[in-house]
Amino acid sequence: MNQPAYQKKDPLEPVQEMVQACIQCGTCTSSCPNEFAMDITPRHMWRMVLMGRKKDIFQSKTFDLCSACYYCTLRCPRGLPLTEAMGRLKQIAARENLPKYKTSVRFYKSFMESVRRHGRVREMEFMTLYFASMKDPILPLKFTPLGIQLMSKRKVSIQIPSKGEGTLDAVFRKVEELEK
Amino acid sequence: MKRKIGTAMVVGAGISGIRAALDLAEIGYGVTLIDREPHMGGILTQLDYQFPTDRCGMCKMLPLVDRDASSQYCLRKGLFHENIEILLSTEITSVEGEPGHFQIKLRQKPFWIVPELCIGCGLCTEVCPVEVPDEFNAGLGSRKAVYLPVPHAIPNPYVIDMAACTRCGACEERCPTGAIQLSREERKNFRILVVDDELIVRDSLKEWLEDEGFSADMAASGPEALDQLSKETYHLMLLDIKMTGMDGVEVLKQAKAASPDLCVVMMTAYATVETAVEAMKIGALDYLIKPFDPDAMIPMVTKIYENIQTSQTREVEVGAVIFAGGTAYFDPSEGKNPFGYRVYSNVVTSLEFERIMSGTGPCQGQLVRPKDGKPIRKAAWIQCVGSRSLQTDADFCSNICCMYAIKECLVAKEKTKGELDTTIFYMDMRTFGKSFQRYRDKAETEHGVCFERARVHSVIGDEATGDIILHYMDHNGELHDETFDMVILAVGQRPAAGTAELSEMLEIPLNPWGFVQTEAFSLTKTSREGILVGGAFSGLRDISESVTQASAAALSASRVIHAAGGSVTPESASDSPYRDVYREVPDILVVICTCGDRFSEYLDIGELEWQIRTDPAVSRVEFVEQTCTAQGWESLVELVEKHKPNRVLIGACLPYVYARKLRELGERTGLDPSLMEVADMGYLKLDIKNSEPEAQIQFPVSSFQFPLEMGIAKLKRAEPSPVPKIPVYQRAMVVGGGIAGMSAALAIADHGFEVDLVEQTKELGGNLLWLQRTLEGESVRPLLEDVREKVEKHPMVQVHTGTQVIASYGQVGCFYTTVEDEEGAARTLEHGVTILATGGTEAATNAYDYGSNPSVVTQKELEIKLSDKTIDPGELSSVVMIQCVDCREEPRNYCSRVCCASALKHALYLREQHPDIAIYVLYRDIMSYGFTETYFTQARKAGVIFIQYEVAEKPEIVSSGESVQVKAFDPIIGRKVEIEADLVVLATGIVPTLPKPLAAAFGACVDQDGFFQEAESKWRPVDALREGIFACGIAHSPRTVTESVATAEAAAQRSLRILSHKEVPAGKVVAKVRQSLCSLCERCIEACPYGARFLDEEAGAVTVNPVMCQGCGSCATVCPNCASVLEGFPMQQMLDVIDAALQ
Repeated sequence: MNQPAYQKKDPLEPVQEMVQACIQCGTCTSSCPNEFAMDITPRHMWRMVLMGRKKDIFQSKTFDLCSACYYCTLRCPRGLPLTEAMGRLKQIAARENLPKYKTSVRFYKSFMESVRRHGRVREMEFMTLYFASMKDPILPLKFTPLGIQLMSKRKVSIQIPSKGEGTLDAVFRKVEELEK
Repeated sequence: MKRKIGTAMVVGAGISGIRAALDLAEIGYGVTLIDREPHMGGILTQLDYQFPTDRCGMCKMLPLVDRDASSQYCLRKGLFHENIEILLSTEITSVEGEPGHFQIKLRQKPFWIVPELCIGCGLCTEVCPVEVPDEFNAGLGSRKAVYLPVPHAIPNPYVIDMAACTRCGACEERCPTGAIQLSREERKNFRILVVDDELIVRDSLKEWLEDEGFSADMAASGPEALDQLSKETYHLMLLDIKMTGMDGVEVLKQAKAASPDLCVVMMTAYATVETAVEAMKIGALDYLIKPFDPDAMIPMVTKIYENIQTSQTREVEVGAVIFAGGTAYFDPSEGKNPFGYRVYSNVVTSLEFERIMSGTGPCQGQLVRPKDGKPIRKAAWIQCVGSRSLQTDADFCSNICCMYAIKECLVAKEKTKGELDTTIFYMDMRTFGKSFQRYRDKAETEHGVCFERARVHSVIGDEATGDIILHYMDHNGELHDETFDMVILAVGQRPAAGTAELSEMLEIPLNPWGFVQTEAFSLTKTSREGILVGGAFSGLRDISESVTQASAAALSASRVIHAAGGSVTPESASDSPYRDVYREVPDILVVICTCGDRFSEYLDIGELEWQIRTDPAVSRVEFVEQTCTAQGWESLVELVEKHKPNRVLIGACLPYVYARKLRELGERTGLDPSLMEVADMGYLKLDIKNSEPEAQIQFPVSSFQFPLEMGIAKLKRAEPSPVPKIPVYQRAMVVGGGIAGMSAALAIADHGFEVDLVEQTKELGGNLLWLQRTLEGESVRPLLEDVREKVEKHPMVQVHTGTQVIASYGQVGCFYTTVEDEEGAARTLEHGVTILATGGTEAATNAYDYGSNPSVVTQKELEIKLSDKTIDPGELSSVVMIQCVDCREEPRNYCSRVCCASALKHALYLREQHPDIAIYVLYRDIMSYGFTETYFTQARKAGVIFIQYEVAEKPEIVSSGESVQVKAFDPIIGRKVEIEADLVVLATGIVPTLPKPLAAAFGACVDQDGFFQEAESKWRPVDALREGIFACGIAHSPRTVTESVATAEAAAQRSLRILSHKEVPAGKVVAKVRQSLCSLCERCIEACPYGARFLDEEAGAVTVNPVMCQGCGSCATVCPNCASVLEGFPMQQMLDVIDAALQ
């Protein structure tokens, strides 16, 4: 606790700046539709952010569960960009490759990779990429019943994964640049 | 009272306007008090109960000396004062000139109802077909287009809302006294020229205008229009822009050149709006965008008609202007409206709830929901609606909402006999004022108001029941859904409507939130000298602060007038304008108003006259037609002048209206107005009006006779002796030489009265000697030096440093005070009033290892150490500030108001000097009230961490050498945090330095915390209950520098009321003692609430100071011997009146 509230080059710094004017009123928590599943409440989360408790923050599922409904941002009496701040936390977790968020980050990345290639998601390819990145041989088996069900209803079809020409390459490159 | 040479204008007749106007009038200036509404009283007309008494009490603002100069009835009903001219429905249109000589143009809207003729029978509303929402009941009910703006005002004439009125004329026909004069015929004289090249436009406009009763002529082209303008006079021209041949702008130029006063409204297509705007720069009044319908055009034309044809314009020259325009309230339906206001009928604003509770409200004071009539048994208040909200552009705290929410809870609980459950959802409970904290605690512990620190997220209406479900998270992080009968939104303040336009007109700046910006260290001065602001007009004040500040504004105004030559020289020097009738037997002239000869139809006038004449004291009975009209009044004056009676009885309606007229009659005829009486016969007239017009009823003579005989009985025994007066020693004493004391002394001295300024230390300055700067960043040093130099060089201020007050004796007008200097030499000073400005200091503490650990300092020490550089911010890495040390809990259960601001100031300063310092503020409720809230936001943004703590779980401190560890429970993360700090700063609050014996020597009281006990926290905030003693600065209550200066100015103003007269008259109704009957039991001395009675030991008699006595009669009721009597209400007179009534 005797650390300065934030230090230079701390990845949390931009998030701290976003929520600095927070008065801990809790409107965000009472508005959050996913709060029931969170281990710590959004208000608690902002407190952790302001206190720079990185370890605690990235032990939590809270920001991972944010579904970006923007309810909290709409109602925050201080007008803070809370949804955006949750997004930033997700980004930090992804960038730093924290083991706790491995599953969701890889899931997300596989999804986006498929989008990058074709401009839309190809379910089979997406799941294949995901299984490959997880390097867990048992994982595909867990999804098999669901897969069969979806296939029988023709919700998904078998397609061969292909690198494709990367229809959205330019967009993705630009985003990467912006995020640097 | 004599009028001074000097006049002032007060704009806004709300509570602050009334206070400022009365203050100036009591000194003797002529005051013009205006309000744009058709009634006085501002927001207070709608509020029945005020914190902390949960009652009203506004009447306590009425003059206490020379009481007969003003009205002496409920101030919510109305006011008159001989030096105040009140103009309602009046707006200011321009202010020109310089301080001391402002030329002000006023515009008064037409009333359409002659107020003197309206008897308030209400027949007009019965026939009026128009219904609109009633703004008096905050829109909860409806009213007619002809209505009473306030149900309780006196006099209370009906007014017509011209915006809603359809001019059907039904009311005009129904009015029994002919008071309503819609003057439709006059509209014919308002000539309008319509210029358009399209026939269809011309024709339809002509039809619309003539339907409304205006005269309209047509012109098809520019040259034709100019030709018509040269032949006839027109008041208004409706001019098309795009016409073939000569275009509208050209016509406008030529028309304006020929007749500059002509009003021109441009008619334009959407495409040429810019041209229309350009046209406004060369003289057009406004523009209409085509195509338009009558609903758009007619109100504009009517407004122009009212402004130029029927409004009365006036020009007034005054020395200074006080703007007390009040404030508006946030409309929660604006913007995102997260609380569902106007979506659910049972979500109401606090003002609407006040009306629901009010007996004159839509529910007649029953606590039921207006929509479905269900009793309200569970209600919730949501705080900070439109305050402390960056989303609604309100980075400020509105100051009033916390306290009014608690008050509403308590009043509502009382109304339901405790059956109501109340919950207040708040973020910080801002109980920063004097006595606020105890009031809040009492509400929680004794009355069971539930305080929930939470921000409600969702407000959901239950469609079936109309109940409201609130979704919120409590402080521990638990989520709740709770159902309430009603939800009240505690709405914050906003600048009054028209503030922006006014600031443009006056060329005075506004602050970032749109309130009037005042100068540094002043709450009343604007950037333009002689233009002052009072009350909430400059933002965010409660009643008490508004009243204080209004007095301060009156003082500043008086200074300007005084400096510009408005002097203390009285205009009329005659001391006793009234004829001495002391030795004459009663000779009563009875004048009966026949109300337009309608009386004689129903009444045997001869019989009535004969009956009245039977009393030998009645010398004449006369009948006059309509004494309420100017003509009728003149004939009454003539009668009094001719017969020279020594008592006058007028039988008429609305006796209250006559208060001012009787004074005028007294001046013209030399008869003391206290020997005149108005017998109320209005209710009898009402009976006549309500009866069937054709029915030939005869009223018994006796029903008219009784009120008259009661009046006669009262007049026969009326005391003709002149009003007692006391001499005033025109010199003031100010005790305490801090900023408040010095400011008060200077203010009095600037009016030409001598002041003794007594300071016990060797140096003037008080707390300003160590204070460096304010939170706003103003340096206090220049202020101190400036004021101190002025005080020391002022020829009228006698400074006594190193001097203490030993004893004092006397009362208002003449105190003898003994002071002793350091050598022990005593002197006695004589003075007429006393101002206590003894200040206060930071409280001592031994909590949190203070004293044993050098790293623990107080806020004051931090300020000093930062300025003398014994603490270097660069060497600090972690600072913990602990707020509310030993305060806001018994025995010091009050908020010191300045500590949170100090903490914010120092936190921001430290972060600025050394951005890497971690700063933690441990607080209970952050009291960043008013515009200070913005610094709280800044501190948050600067990275200061705020941790809330509860009294039950205070922070702990563990000292280990130089370093300190602070342990505190953080409720947000739900666990204890440990902070290594190298500096701990304690906010210990303020304690007063007003020794009880000193206060007692002057007859003032101190409250349980040792602060000066004011007479009434809202209505007389700087006065002691005993007249002639005032307090200001911290001696009164914890305050900032600027607020201290404002109280000092207010106290000076209250003193000048007395000091500016050589003799102060009391009222006609005062107590006196019949010494022969008095047994000296002294019960009356205890009973007197004003301390006006004392035992004169030398004479062995109980004496009454007539000026301090307010004529309440408490002494007369406790006296066992009838030795204490109330002059003006002697027993025999009262018994006679009762006899006359019951015969």
